[in-house]
Parts: sequence; C-alpha cells; structure tokens
Amino acid sequence: MMSLDAFSALLVSGLVLGSIYAMMASGLSLVWTTLGIFNFAHGVFMALGAYVAWTVSDAAGLNLWLGFAIAMSVAFMAGLGILIERTVVRPFYGQRDMLLITVMTTLAVMMFLEKGIQMLWGPRLKQLRPIVEGKVSLLGITISAQEAFIIVIAPLVLAALWAFLRWTSTGRGIRAVGQNPDAAKLIGINASAMFAVTFALSAVLAGFTGILLGSLRLLTPGLGAEPLIKAFIIVIFGGMGSLAGTIGAAYIIGLVEAFLITTVGFYWAPSALFIILIAVLLVRPEGLFGRRVA
Amino acid sequence: MTPDLALEVSGVRAGYDSYDVLMGVSLKVGINERVGLFGPNGHGKTTLLNAISGVIKPRVGNVRFMGDEIAGKSPQAVVDRGLIHVPQANLLFPQMEVMETLELAAFCKRAKPEKSANLDKVLQLFPRLKERRRQQCKTLSGGERQMLSIGVGLMCAPKMLMLDEPTLGLSPKLKDELAVAIGEISQTGIPLLLVEQDISFVLSLADRMYLVDHGEITREVSKGQDVDHEQIMQMYFGEEHA
Amino acid sequence: MIRSLSGNRAFVLGAALVIAVLMPFVVQDTYWRHLFIIAFIYAMVASNWDLSLGYAGIFNFGHVAFFGVGVYAAALSTKFLGADPWIAIFLGGVAASLAGALVALPVIRLKGIYVVLVTFAFGQLVLQLVLSQSEITGGTQGIVRIPALEAFGYNFLRDFKFGYYYVALGLLVISTIFLRFVVRSDFGMSLRALRDNEEYAVARGIPTGLQRLKVLVVSAFFTGVAGGFFAIYLRVASPEIFGFPVQSLVLSMVLVGGTGTIYGPIAAAVILTFASEMLGSIEGLDEGRVMLIAVAMIIVLLFFPNGLASIWRRRAQRAALADSADKAVAETRLIENSAGASR
Repeated sequence: MMSLDAFSALLVSGLVLGSIYAMMASGLSLVWTTLGIFNFAHGVFMALGAYVAWTVSDAAGLNLWLGFAIAMSVAFMAGLGILIERTVVRPFYGQRDMLLITVMTTLAVMMFLEKGIQMLWGPRLKQLRPIVEGKVSLLGITISAQEAFIIVIAPLVLAALWAFLRWTSTGRGIRAVGQNPDAAKLIGINASAMFAVTFALSAVLAGFTGILLGSLRLLTPGLGAEPLIKAFIIVIFGGMGSLAGTIGAAYIIGLVEAFLITTVGFYWAPSALFIILIAVLLVRPEGLFGRRVA
Repeated sequence: MTPDLALEVSGVRAGYDSYDVLMGVSLKVGINERVGLFGPNGHGKTTLLNAISGVIKPRVGNVRFMGDEIAGKSPQAVVDRGLIHVPQANLLFPQMEVMETLELAAFCKRAKPEKSANLDKVLQLFPRLKERRRQQCKTLSGGERQMLSIGVGLMCAPKMLMLDEPTLGLSPKLKDELAVAIGEISQTGIPLLLVEQDISFVLSLADRMYLVDHGEITREVSKGQDVDHEQIMQMYFGEEHA
Repeated sequence: MIRSLSGNRAFVLGAALVIAVLMPFVVQDTYWRHLFIIAFIYAMVASNWDLSLGYAGIFNFGHVAFFGVGVYAAALSTKFLGADPWIAIFLGGVAASLAGALVALPVIRLKGIYVVLVTFAFGQLVLQLVLSQSEITGGTQGIVRIPALEAFGYNFLRDFKFGYYYVALGLLVISTIFLRFVVRSDFGMSLRALRDNEEYAVARGIPTGLQRLKVLVVSAFFTGVAGGFFAIYLRVASPEIFGFPVQSLVLSMVLVGGTGTIYGPIAAAVILTFASEMLGSIEGLDEGRVMLIAVAMIIVLLFFPNGLASIWRRRAQRAALADSADKAVAETRLIENSAGASR
C-alpha cells in the first residue's frame, strides 16, 4: 500500500509534469489544427525562450528584472514564430506533400536553432532563477514554490488561451481558418495573418514553458527535446485537434508518468509510456478523446 | 458621384491551372437590381463568382465594383469593399456554434460597428437560427446551413450579395421560404447576383437573367420577356437532341 | 524516345559503377576512402528509406532507428555471442527487420501524421533503451573495440581501407539491385497503387496492412545490414546515431534526392556526405556546419520540393509524349484527391 505522503508526492510531481506538458502540447496542437502541420522546432522554441530570458535577467542581475526578462523573451519568441512561419511553412502551403516537407523544414529549423544556441551561449551550464522562491506546503508535503507556481499558472495560461480562441475575433478567426480556410476567406479573414498569429502564439507558449522549466532543470540546447516527444504522445492521446482533449491528455500523461517513475523507474518510464500509447492506438486509432473522422 | 452600376464584369477569362473555364464573360448588375445567372453545371457560373470575389484571379478582363477596379484583388479586399460571395454548399465551420459563426462573420472593420444591428436582422429573417444558436454548424440540416450561410453573408454588411445555388438540395417548401427571405434582403437595397439551376426560382426573384453556356454568356433575358423553354432544353442537352 | 531515355540512364549507371570500382586506384588516401565508405553506408540507408517513404508512402520517420538497431545488434553479437563480424553484419539486418515488424504493428492501423509521430517516438524509445541499459550497451559511452573484418587471414584494416571500400560498395550494389527488383515486382506495383489511391487498391484486393508490414520489414533489412557494417567498420557503436543530426542528414538525402526514385537518394547521399565534410573542413565552419546543412536543406526544399532528381525528371517529362503527360496529370489528380481526403 502506498502511504498518503507518497501519494501526495506522486500527485504533485504528476501535476507539475502535466502542467508543463499541457502548455507545450497545446501550442503544438494549435498549429496542427490551424495550419495542418507539425512543428518539430517546437521543442527548441522552448529552450530558446529560456535562454533569452536567462540573458536578459543575467544582464540585469536582479530578480526584479525577471518579469522584464519574461516579457522580452515572449516578444522575441513571437517575432521568431512569425519569421519561421513566413520562411519555412508558408511557401509550402497548399502543396500536396506539405505535411512531409514541413516536417523536414521544421526539423531543419530545429537543427539550426539548437546548434545556434550551443554556439551563442556556449557549453557552460545555466539555470534560471525561480520566478518565486522558497518552499510551499501542499497536501502534506513540501515542494518548491516554483513547482507550486507552475501548477497554478498553467491552468490560468490555458484558460486565457481558451478564452482567446473562444471569445475574441482573432481567436475565432484562427479557428475558422483551421476548420474551413475557403469559407474563412470569403468573410474577409486574412488566412496568412491568422497563420502568423497562430505560429507566434505557439512559439510564445513554448518559450514561456521553457522559462518555467528552466528553473527546475539546467538549461541545455536540447531542453525541449524530451518534452517534445511527450507532447507528440499527448497530442496523439488527445485525439489530434481539440484543445480540451490535448490538455486533458497532458495531465493524464503527466500523472501516469509520475506513477511510472516511482514504479518502474526513471529509465523505463518513457518506454512504458510508449507501450501504453501503442496499446491505446491499437484499440482506439483516433486517440483517447478523438472522434472518428471519415 | 454614385455609380449606377453595382458590378460590371467585362471580358473576364479565368480558370484553374492551365485551362480556362471562362472564355471572356461580361455582365452588369445595376445598383438596385436582382440579376440571375442560369446555366448547366460545369459551365463556369461558380468560376465566375470565384473570379469576382478574388478566390481565383482573372487572367484577362476587368471587374469593377461600385466604380472601383477589383480584378485580382484578394478575397479580403473584396469583402472589405462590401461585395460578399456566399459560396455553394458551404459547410462553414463545422465545430463552431451558430452564434459564434455569425458574430465572427462581422470580421472586417466595416462590419464591426453594425454587428448587433445585423445580428438582429439575421435572426429576424431566419428565426430558426435563433433556436439553433448553441449548436455546432456540423449538426445543422441542409436548409439551416443555407440560412446560416446567407446570414453569415449579411453579417459582413454587404453592399452587394452573390449567392451561389442557395436552393441546392432543398425541399420545395424550404425553397419558397428562402425565396421570401432573399426577396426581403434585396428589398433593403442590396443588389443581388443569384446563381441558380432552378429556373422558376430565378424567375421569381430576378429582374433580369443571363444564360451561361460553355464559359460564355449566350443570352440575356429581361423580366416579362418570354423565356423559351425549348431554348433552355437546348442548352442542357445540345442542339442535336432538341 | 522512352528507349533513349532509359538507355541514357543505363549508361549513367554503368559509368557511375565503373568510376566507383576504379576509385580506390586513384584515391589512395585513407581519409578520402573513408568518406566514400561512409557515403555508401548512408546511401544504403537513404535508398532503403525511400522504399518505405517514397514508394509505399508510409510516413516512416523511424528509419534511422532501424539503422541504429543494426549497429547495436552487430556490436552486441560480437561482444556477447562472440559472433564473427561477417555474421554480425547479417544479424544487424535481421534485428532491424524484426524492429521493422514491431513498428509495423501500430503503423498498419494508423494514417498520416499518426504514423510520423509513432515512428518518430519509436526512434526515441530505442535511444532511451540504449541509454538506460548501460551495463549492456555502455550507455552514453557506447560499445568500443568491436573486432575488425577478416577473411582468409586478411585483415581489412590494412592497405588504407582498400578492402572496406569494396565491401561497402558491394553491399550498396546488392542492396540497390534488390531495391530495383522489389520496386519492379508485383509487390512494388501494389505498393505504389496503395500510395496513389488506397481505396481503389483495396477494392482491387490488395491487403493494405500486410503490404505495409512487408515493406517495413524489407526496407529495414539492408538498413540494418548497413548499420551492422557501420559498427564493424568504425569498431564502435555509439548512441549518437539515434540523434536528430543523423536523422535529419539522412532524411535530407532522401528528400533532396527525390522520393520514389531509389537512385536519387543514393546520389544525394554521396553528394551530401562530401558536401558536409567539405563544409566542416573550412576554417571556422566546423561548428556551424550543421547550421549550414539546415539552411541548405530548406533552400533545396524551397526551390525543388520534389528533390533534385525532379530536375532530371522534368526534362524527361518535357521530352515524353503528350498522352503520357496527360496520364501524369490524371495521376496527380488522383493523388491530390486522396491527399485531400486523408486530411
């Protein structure tokens, strides 16, 4: 039998993982539903966001500047997202091999940025200061305030994203373009502008996630590689497309992974997760929450 | 100076990839007119609307809307000017709710201030949409979807509407309802270009009608003028079978 | 017209083979021969990848993992089973085919992006396994001191890799002949039919799942052999082969060379291996080489989305008869329709 403490510890670490994954995967899923491409550079966006924030806050040297650092990083990621959409995605829009070609081009962007980060910031290990310091007691166990912050901020960010897509004109425009680009054009929606906004938004989400993760882990150019694989698994689990499905799947995977780490160990957890994924796909090829599409 | 023509298309050639569908089409729609466009399938009616609304670019020819040249402009620019194309069998946005879709449709700057007024108008015109307002588009019936599609066009604050086969696949009863609604819309001073396969539907609504055949306009029929059924049959089945 | 074109191709192929056979007599230098050997290995991987990706249309992104499985299978079998290096190379192929069958299990039931993600995740999974089982695989250190090839008392390390060069070339030639045979067989035809119009092919009684399973097993075999040879030749097996850089490099060979051509990826493998090495040797570019390759990949895809082979093909098409051009149009339509339907 598992003790109550062990259970709370598991729950908390699962929630932290789930929060990180949910923010990461929702950006990936947003780009997929709107542009119909899979962005393999999404993971390196995460690392880049963390590095930019590190540079800004390190130069300033004050915790007070961390908010500024986040803002700068977010702005930088938005710009980069737009640039990348323009250069390596838009030229292929509407081509029959688009999915395959953009997998290639975004992989190339990943290689480029990962190496670029390594050359620019060097091999010395870095860590971001936590946004909030100290310890917090939660469910009878003590965790770092940063972890508690992540658990709280993720649902807020995701709710904001949902509200944006649901209530604002631009958000609805993004959904419209994803669901029927031709009909969207005929009511005066500029599809390219929506694509750019989507890509920028997704890059910002990735960058912000990187900042959160960057104070829990050491910064490396490959910071986002492993979360990216998890995000893939999540997006499949979530049934590709619906934001709610993706977010739900992210928390489930986070909790399952935390459970697997305590039971089968850190190294076997990814394999076990993958086997579960395959088992689920064999039973439900459309994902856990997905609808069967003709 | 107000132009007396809402839409003037002259000598438009357009098509897809490497072949032309339209072989030089010219037509006019007056500022207070309802004009029908009639002809068999695959003879270029939809292509013509696409070329006007900017979905495809005409290779040759001019399109003037309210006096401005719009040939080759983006669909967004055309919508911004108030020329709204309601496409055929529009699936709209499958996972969006009816009300959301209508609100979204007031997307361009021009339409935003008129959003709530237009929304009232649409819901008054199609009360059925009000009942369905929380439903997703994909759950609507064919008739409801057509109403929503026209409603979406109205939300763009149109200065002119182009409707592509609004009665496609509808029952006679629904067709009549729709004819009344479209009639009401044009009463408010919105000129219409109506593409239809149902000749009686066109005749009941339009002041004037063009016959399209093989990517060309072959005849113009005014209201009151006798429509030769023989001739229409000829268009459909070719001379040798007439 | 057609005959002259294929005659042309036979001439180019023959010339390329003759040059490849004579090369070691001209190039005496170990380093240059090494580059050729590596290029031949990549060419095997890229052309076999083309079979599943280009011909069968399976969005398989785990192909480099098959290569890695071959590398580790060969290395482990020499280390733990004391297998002869020649046998180990063969075992690399067998192990990769088994891995292919394993991947096929979910893949035959999935479509489009799901296949990309599952195959991609498979590669990462193998990497995780290799890293976690460090007592067996050496973890991040890899496996070293793998025995070298020997035949009749001749050690292949001698004579500036003369022997290795011919083994690599020989394997590539066998693999290519095999691929051409597969592609032209009824099996190959059925693969193309499935790719171009799945519904029609299924209606014609082609078993989708079975064909996909077969093609993954078949295309994995010589990939694993290439991996086995890679391990025996370099005498190390390191987890880096599962990384993004190798993955992207080989994928760029397939796409730059042109999918569905077999020869395209082989040519691209040779060109890109040397280009990448040349770039690396320029002063100051050593580090940034990966970035340059990434930019080059994007540029090639921007201007030749069907691969560099499309330049050749476009010229051939222009020369072809009008009715075959019509056929191409009709075929593209079919493909477009099926692509549209799958989204």
